[in-house]
Amino acid sequence: MFGLIGHLTSLAHAQSVAKDLGYDEYAGQGLEFWCMAPPQIVDEITVTSITGQVIQGKYVESCFLPEMLAAKQFKAATRKIINAMVYAQKQGIDITALGGFSSIIFETFNLSQIRQVRNIHLEIEKFTTGNTHTAYILCRQVEQSCLKFGIDLAKATVAVCGATGDIGSAVCRWLDTRTDVKELVLVARNQERLYQLQSELGRGKVMAIEDALPIADVVVWVASMAKGMEIDISSLKRPCILIDGGYPKNMATSIQVPDVYVINGGIVEHSIDIEWKIMNIVSMSAPARQLFACFAESMLLEFEGWHTNFSWGRNQITIENMDKIGAVSIKHGFRPLIA
Amino acid sequence: MIGQMFAAFADENIGIDYRSDTYRDAYSRINAIVIEGEQEAHDNYIQLGDLLTTLKAELAGLAKMESRHKKGFEACGRNLNVVPDMDFAKEFFSSLHGNFQKAFATEDVVTCLLIQSLIIECFAIAAYNIYIPVADDFARKITEGVIKDEYLHLNFGEVWLQENFSTSKEQLEIANRQNLPLVWKMLNQVAKDAKVLGMEKDALVEDFMIQYGESLGKIGFNTREIMRMSAMGLVAA
Repeated sequence: MFGLIGHLTSLAHAQSVAKDLGYDEYAGQGLEFWCMAPPQIVDEITVTSITGQVIQGKYVESCFLPEMLAAKQFKAATRKIINAMVYAQKQGIDITALGGFSSIIFETFNLSQIRQVRNIHLEIEKFTTGNTHTAYILCRQVEQSCLKFGIDLAKATVAVCGATGDIGSAVCRWLDTRTDVKELVLVARNQERLYQLQSELGRGKVMAIEDALPIADVVVWVASMAKGMEIDISSLKRPCILIDGGYPKNMATSIQVPDVYVINGGIVEHSIDIEWKIMNIVSMSAPARQLFACFAESMLLEFEGWHTNFSWGRNQITIENMDKIGAVSIKHGFRPLIA
Repeated sequence: MIGQMFAAFADENIGIDYRSDTYRDAYSRINAIVIEGEQEAHDNYIQLGDLLTTLKAELAGLAKMESRHKKGFEACGRNLNVVPDMDFAKEFFSSLHGNFQKAFATEDVVTCLLIQSLIIECFAIAAYNIYIPVADDFARKITEGVIKDEYLHLNFGEVWLQENFSTSKEQLEIANRQNLPLVWKMLNQVAKDAKVLGMEKDALVEDFMIQYGESLGKIGFNTREIMRMSAMGLVAA
């Protein structure tokens, strides 16, 4: 059985979802209440592969909210993730993906040190960040959207915002080795890590975001922010493709100008309807088929019986593993979303 | 951005001075609550033996463990030169104690088990789990030993209530409505003292809700019922 650990995008979102689901005790509550709320299994999922194989899964709502980071409630935030993981493990789930901010919090706050939680020994090999599949899908979205919108990668500049992160660095590696992209622009806050990445790749221009946007034909946005991103639309090159790999995704609705093509990044579409309710509440345009690639990774690992932390740690995603997960992604009927 | 947050987070984890007056003052109340809690647990299991006569011997065994826990926690207080404020602790438990006695008088086994074997045991497990990482070395060893037993005590209530779920469900919901709000009030009363000991209120509540929710699930309640029951009265408290 596979699992997904997820969370809602904001307090207001959480309140409205709780109301819709009929959880009145949770619906009217403020942030303080969510800081105390325990993880819950709120959905049972059935996924069918195009090979005919059928798997079962569970969706664990961690009750984490991005406002906990904004309000510096770090202990609450980290507790949510650890408690959700323990809960998933206790339910007997073999492989669970850490969705949304869960994997970022796990990495940033060094939660891998925590192995004993109450009377449970946390088996981290049963969890995956899902980042390898997300990085793979983002790269395919770059390639396929360029084809669709007539941008020739061999003549294009691709800016990766959040380049030094786990996903961002993998995207850079792939674009460098698997495409003939003309120019890679690396954007991130930490200068030291940026120059490390540049030396690893042996290429790439380190630039500030305001200098990068006007020259980029493709922008891959994978920076982690507690609030949605704000981008100076007027500074964007025309035409350009904006691949929004952030969470929550707000570019598609906030940026609607001619010749700027916004793609929901890191999202896959399945070939067969998935039996679940939960994706209705994360505003996908086709909730029965569209989902985060990180979630899809745990499904792929379950389909293949690879009950292992396929994606783990920081900056350890290899091209070989992206190929491996990419091959089974295609095999089971998932494809990158190109809206 | 999240990296900067991490630096701020690390600063929060400052050391605890177990010998300071502030710590020992707070400890005098928390330690007393634990000692009184174990004493009342002992008495409650003995009384439950009068209602569940076929299980009398098993309940006597559980009661005996609670007595041993009490002695352990008394030693924790002595180790820090703290005199437990037992008057405070008796007053602290009075409402819950009163409800248990009322239920016992009417031979209401379901309510008695909910109060002692679910609410009190889940709360003890949550509190001990939160306490262990911030306890002094002496108290940590004692508490680690105690918590293993408390899981057994919780299990006793879970098993009985699961076996009798259909006939006790309604009464469990009533008893939950009457007693869980008292627990939140009790927790608020000692939140400040607990914080001095390094125990955050929201962590305590979350751990309690996890443990209590798990127990209600084993007994037979569904997710929706668990969410409603385990959050009962929390916001009003």
